[in-house]
Amino acid sequence: MILPTPIDLLYISAAILLISTFGLVIKRGFIDLVRAYRYQTIVLAGIVALIASITGIWELYIVSALTLGIKAIAIPKILFYVTNKLDSPIKMEINSYLNIRSSILISALLVAMSYFITLQIGIQSDDVIQVFLPVSLALFFIGLFIIISRRKALNQIVGLLTIENGLFLFAVALTHGFSLIIEIGLMADIVVAVIISSILLFRMSKTFDSIDISNLESLRDDD
Amino acid sequence: MQVELFSSLESMLIIFLIITPVISTILVTFLKRKRIIEFITMASSFLILVEGLILVSFIIEYKTISVFNGMFYVDSLSGIIIITISIVGFLSSLYSVNYMGKQYDKLIIDSKKLVRYYQGFNLFLFTMLLVPISNNMGIMWIAIEATTLVSVLLIMLYVKQSSIEASWKYLLIATVGLSLALFGTIFFYYVNTISDGSEESLLAMNWTNLVENAPIFDPNLVKLAFIFIIVGFGTKAGLAPMHTWLPDAHSEAPSPISALLSGVLLNCAFYGILRFHIITGTAIGPHFSNTLLIILGVISIGIAAASITFQKDIKRMLAFSSVEHMGIISVAIGFGSVLGIFGALLHIINHAVVKSLLFFSGGSITQKYETKSMSKISGVIRTMPITGFAFLIGGLAIIGAPPFNIFMSEFLVLSSGFESENFLASVLVILFLAIIFASFGKHLLKMIFGNPEHKMKKGDLGKLSIIPMLILISITFIMGVYVPDPLQTLIEDSTNILLMGNISQ
Repeated sequence: MILPTPIDLLYISAAILLISTFGLVIKRGFIDLVRAYRYQTIVLAGIVALIASITGIWELYIVSALTLGIKAIAIPKILFYVTNKLDSPIKMEINSYLNIRSSILISALLVAMSYFITLQIGIQSDDVIQVFLPVSLALFFIGLFIIISRRKALNQIVGLLTIENGLFLFAVALTHGFSLIIEIGLMADIVVAVIISSILLFRMSKTFDSIDISNLESLRDDD
Repeated sequence: MQVELFSSLESMLIIFLIITPVISTILVTFLKRKRIIEFITMASSFLILVEGLILVSFIIEYKTISVFNGMFYVDSLSGIIIITISIVGFLSSLYSVNYMGKQYDKLIIDSKKLVRYYQGFNLFLFTMLLVPISNNMGIMWIAIEATTLVSVLLIMLYVKQSSIEASWKYLLIATVGLSLALFGTIFFYYVNTISDGSEESLLAMNWTNLVENAPIFDPNLVKLAFIFIIVGFGTKAGLAPMHTWLPDAHSEAPSPISALLSGVLLNCAFYGILRFHIITGTAIGPHFSNTLLIILGVISIGIAAASITFQKDIKRMLAFSSVEHMGIISVAIGFGSVLGIFGALLHIINHAVVKSLLFFSGGSITQKYETKSMSKISGVIRTMPITGFAFLIGGLAIIGAPPFNIFMSEFLVLSSGFESENFLASVLVILFLAIIFASFGKHLLKMIFGNPEHKMKKGDLGKLSIIPMLILISITFIMGVYVPDPLQTLIEDSTNILLMGNISQ
């Protein structure tokens, strides 16, 4: 039996992360989407631990544990709570702008684009960066795609969180754990952002009777 | 011995500056009485003003101050931002007492909301003060992101459909934009570590370290990183075409907060661009970032000109005028000559002063007339003589009429445009400014003069709304005639920082 080398492990983990990201693209129900996000974040925490064991930087283990604790447990908990408390009876994406098939197609194109961009930048450096730079860009683009293609505000939050996961992977891959203080600050920012957007969601569902963002089109200059 | 004494004094000052708003936030949380929390906020903002001015006087004397192993670093450029935060912050706290007090009397907000407002106000000042004093670009980014979160809380104070919409757009667009800025920041850090060759350390994210190593950076990566930065922080600074959230957010916020958002927060975000502009300039020469700044600036002024012309809402008009002025600052920095940069930095202060004057007086007007629609507002000078006068002065100043302060800085900016031979950009800017002059002027005169539509009780809205306006009017007049010497020194020093890209020069 041949054991996979560390490089293989990097590629395998990157592939798992991309697959889990596609899970976000195809899910329509709120609960399913948050679950997919949780799954993606757990994979991310595993990747951070893997990078830690390859580079031997102990701070990254702490970062990995923080990711698991805050982003894979606390944030999904908040979002589950929000979903359960929402008044609206329909807890899934309906009348989405795009169907699942074309969403997957576009996401695949975005992944290809990320690899293309990385080739263009042409960073000559270690394996960790080579493997994860395109993946982190792909996460960023797919997160952006989720935000603009979904009509429900809760799904947009998950898109934002996906962008943030991409950013996080980018930071860890490029700088090997830039500094603990900044990463903790970043996570605090995210938790606060999720709480604030949850409050906004409640207000939205109370004032508009739905969290469909097509309600949010009254402020404009051309009326 | 003396040096050590001073360094400890300065570090104490910086600590006091950022801890004052934190303490007042805690006090507000526990002492929920209306009178008390108003007093606490006014007192702490006054304290911030005093501390800020002392710190700036230190900066003028020592040029750069670096404390706690370089964790905090302030120079003249930070000084300019600190001045705007502390002055507008203090006046806004005075105005808040009147404005939010009126909202409270009208039962638009309850006492719980009032507590939340003052908590948010103090926290907002804290997060903004953190921006200019942090040396670590990562911490600066966190502070700017934190300003978004706190100001979203303030915008959604009123439970109205429009304010929910505005805060949702603001939260989403600003956060996505800022995540691009973080990409850029990390990229700069990465470029620094690979060109330095040393082990990655905390220091490599410090601005001072980045500028020091900038000459050996890889040019292509620096260009890429700066594009991320300018799009990211540009979103937050309201540069078009990433400005779409700005008119919604600034017009839906309570007026004292609108003044802080337009007059101060935009500058904080632009300060982020400036810091990286210096690094980029040192690394690959100023041409690349200057061109980007000019392009985005001209687009901003153009879009603002079109939107102001067809505007119906008074506060949205003021918000678009902020897009215009951020555009002017951006263009002026892009022109890159001594005159242009001096004008841009002067314009940062002038715009902060005039825009808060306009939001204060505009806020009182909307409160009195109970509408934001400009067609329903007329004869302000008769119904509210002092507020009307303040709005008139502010309006004339913001469109660049002489002899007010904005005329002076815009004049500097435009002459530097021709001096640095950016003819196309300068001509476009003049054209757009002329359009804005005409259309803003038309809206302004229609609101100020003319007959009030229906019988209204005459009178302004109380002393605390008038005093901040009078202070701002006098600053507008004085700065139109001459720039005080200490301020002149401060701006000249920061111009040198922006030109050399190197503080040791």
